[in-house]
Amino acid sequence: MNERDGQAIIFRFVVTLLVILALNFILPHMMPGDPFSTMASDVQSEDVIVMTEAQREYYFQYYGLDRPLPEQFFSYLANLARGDLGQSIYYKMPVAGVILLHLPWTILIVLAATAISTVVGVVLGIISARNRNKGSDRLMMTGLIAFAEIPSFLLGIILLLIFCVHLRLFPLAGAVTPFAHYTGVLDQIGDIAHHAFLPVLTLSLAQLTGVYLLTRNTLITVSTKDYIRTARAKGLGDHIVWSRHALRNALLPVVTRTGFVIGMLMGGAVLVETVFNYPGIGLTLRNAVVARDYPLIQGILLVVAVSILLCNLLADRLYQKLDPRVVE
Amino acid sequence: MADLEVKDLKCHYNTDTSVVPAVDGISLSLEAGEIVGVIGESGSGKTTLGLSIMRLLDGLASVSGTIVYKGTDITHLPEPEIDRIRWKDIAIVFQNNLDILNPVMTVGKQVVEPLLKHEEIPVREAQARCADLFRTVGLDPVWMDAYPHQLSGGMRQRVLLAMALSCDPKLLILDEVTSALDAFTRKEIRDLLIDLQKKNGYSMILISHDLSFVSSLASRMIVLYAGRVVESGPTVDIINAPRHPYTRGLVHSTPDIFVYKDLWGIPGESASEDGHAGCPFSRRCTQPIEICRTSPPRLQSCGDGREVACHRGGIATLLRADAVHFRYPLPGRKTLHAVNGVDMDVCEGEVLAIVGQTASGKSTLAHILAGILRPESGEVRFMDGAVHSGNNGHRFGGIQIVFQDPFSSTSNRFTVLDAVREPFDINRIGTAAERLDMTREALKLVRLPPTDEFLGKYCGALSGGQRQRVALARAMIMKPRLLIADEITSALDVSTAANVLRLLKGLQNRRGFAMIYISHDLSLTLKIADRIAVMDAGRIIEIGNAHEVMLHPRDDRTKRLIGTRVGHCCHDHKPVGMAGRLQTRVSDCGDE
Repeated sequence: MNERDGQAIIFRFVVTLLVILALNFILPHMMPGDPFSTMASDVQSEDVIVMTEAQREYYFQYYGLDRPLPEQFFSYLANLARGDLGQSIYYKMPVAGVILLHLPWTILIVLAATAISTVVGVVLGIISARNRNKGSDRLMMTGLIAFAEIPSFLLGIILLLIFCVHLRLFPLAGAVTPFAHYTGVLDQIGDIAHHAFLPVLTLSLAQLTGVYLLTRNTLITVSTKDYIRTARAKGLGDHIVWSRHALRNALLPVVTRTGFVIGMLMGGAVLVETVFNYPGIGLTLRNAVVARDYPLIQGILLVVAVSILLCNLLADRLYQKLDPRVVE
Repeated sequence: MADLEVKDLKCHYNTDTSVVPAVDGISLSLEAGEIVGVIGESGSGKTTLGLSIMRLLDGLASVSGTIVYKGTDITHLPEPEIDRIRWKDIAIVFQNNLDILNPVMTVGKQVVEPLLKHEEIPVREAQARCADLFRTVGLDPVWMDAYPHQLSGGMRQRVLLAMALSCDPKLLILDEVTSALDAFTRKEIRDLLIDLQKKNGYSMILISHDLSFVSSLASRMIVLYAGRVVESGPTVDIINAPRHPYTRGLVHSTPDIFVYKDLWGIPGESASEDGHAGCPFSRRCTQPIEICRTSPPRLQSCGDGREVACHRGGIATLLRADAVHFRYPLPGRKTLHAVNGVDMDVCEGEVLAIVGQTASGKSTLAHILAGILRPESGEVRFMDGAVHSGNNGHRFGGIQIVFQDPFSSTSNRFTVLDAVREPFDINRIGTAAERLDMTREALKLVRLPPTDEFLGKYCGALSGGQRQRVALARAMIMKPRLLIADEITSALDVSTAANVLRLLKGLQNRRGFAMIYISHDLSLTLKIADRIAVMDAGRIIEIGNAHEVMLHPRDDRTKRLIGTRVGHCCHDHKPVGMAGRLQTRVSDCGDE
């Protein structure tokens, strides 16, 4: 990559980021209500304590919410530039701290789900493409497409009811067993995996069909390309033709998609974490929205947006490494 | 025993809506070390033939017939076994395109790949072999590390060639190897192929639409049309005297062979699946008869190792003159032997030019051939009857003649309508309305306005070019099978002459009638003639393909005729004292 292209990419990145920042800031403020209507009450509980007008005004001043929006936006940007994401109104601690506390859990399930959905999706895609228009292909296509139509939160609820409520195979909530005493690292990992299993499964299933369809269709397209015929003509044998020539080319778009999948999953995590009461930033975001915790909402949205941008950037760079036709 | 024996091969592509017979019963055999050319337009099934020999057609194609390679029937060999034959025994050089090589693999790796698979040699040795192959095909081995998209079309073609040669195949199939190449590279590849063939004794199947390329390599040729063989035989014979109208069309469309003639393709589109049961070429043919539309012709031997698939046994003779003599009485009991023992043939759909000096007997011959003059002795036969007993001038599909001087051949006092309609009036053909319609059609054909105003004009009011076209329309209205054009452009200025001539040739090409074009102007003749007959003192002294006569005249008088062309703007005779100025002019001209 030459310098000018590099600069162009950075410029695009910065512009995108600014747009996201502006949206992040404006959208929460457009929601009805404010942080103090529910402040004293617990998010989960039903009783609502109403504050006096004087108390509200005090808090508005305290958090600087009484100032005009543009002014608030610029001070937000200024703070951000210093690396300060602000104070969470609900958690009453720095936003960065809240995010750091919950982000690892989300990263864990998102990465696990990405890995699983990509690997399984690609494998199923290959099987389907190789048996194109045969029974197994049609069955898989119909099944997976129908499956993809189920919203992930609904799927999560169904899984939760079956495996947690009825079969009691998995815990109902949380990322680890509370107050557990682990006998060793393996034990701890086992516990984490046990808790993460259903959220990861739900997220993976939600993304699986996309990867599957992309792999299957690209592979079918690639298999009609002239270079596949060339490879067959060389008498290389079915296995080499498929693996070295077809798959290598068919996986290129899958790489690009993976970056995109991570982004989708970050969004999907909000719903799934809520269903499974999994303490990632998705659940935190949901709580922050309910509490109208503007700084926290902005902080989480920012983190999600930046990670999506980074993943796409990474996927692009990886693609350049894999496809020699992309000019470096 | 033949190396490769293909029998009654049929490959039908099954699409959702129809079945496309890409190859429809082709048989061919190839001796060891033989080079056979497979010729045809795009869509004639050439590539499918190559692919099916390597068993590379995908599941959508249904294949029948047998392919026997060195005594083994490979038609139904299981995939792993055919893989052993592929590349090691039969290799193919694919037609170059951007997708023909794997875009994410270096070309070197792709050439090495089959070596590792079939020869089972270490990678290092395979790479060394690959470098050698690259040098053989004229590529620097540094390109081994390049990706396909980094190479030019010509370089990619060389890589494909190197790849095909990698395992030293016995039989090489080359599919349109030259279509992406410039003239220099094309020549280089051709020379390389000849060298390789001599050195390694490959058998080759050259698949191409490039007739001149194929004919420069192959000893035998097979001409495909719509998935069938329409003609096969030794290359030289096919090029010099094609037997099938399609082959003739191809040969005539090849500028490398007909260097002087204007380029005219075969009219009409290549036959597609229009479902009629007859000869696939019949719609474009110059000589179709009833049976051509109902049943497909079989490939039949016509001697000298040649085969042709045509119900009429190949290009048919339309007119034949046998020992024709004609004398004009001169004062003092002398006679002028205007036509002195002429034998000649005119084939269906061809343009034969009769060239010669004035008073060499051309026009007299033309009048005899048209049946206007009766020869003293000898016979002229048109189709199956003698010209003189038939009424060829009076019916559709007969002989029409257009004369030299339009001012005397069309009456000043006739309107355009009268002049063009005259043959109908004389022969009592059609109703008045039909005659008018056909007159308008004929005028459109010769690019004259078919308006009432123009129809009412008197011929005397027309220009020379217009009048000659009216004369042409009068001839065309009878839909002749043979048109004799006697010096029709000599009374016209160059530009008008060029227009009339192109119009005439265009009509001939579209309608497919045969034409005898009589002229003293050699340069003009060369633009349209398929064959040239040179006439001198009442005899035909030389007859042959236009380019042959032009490039290799045998008779001294022909040579003299060719030498008489004044031609060029650049002359080297310098007036004294102007040498300097003229010199620069000459070089200006010469550089063009």
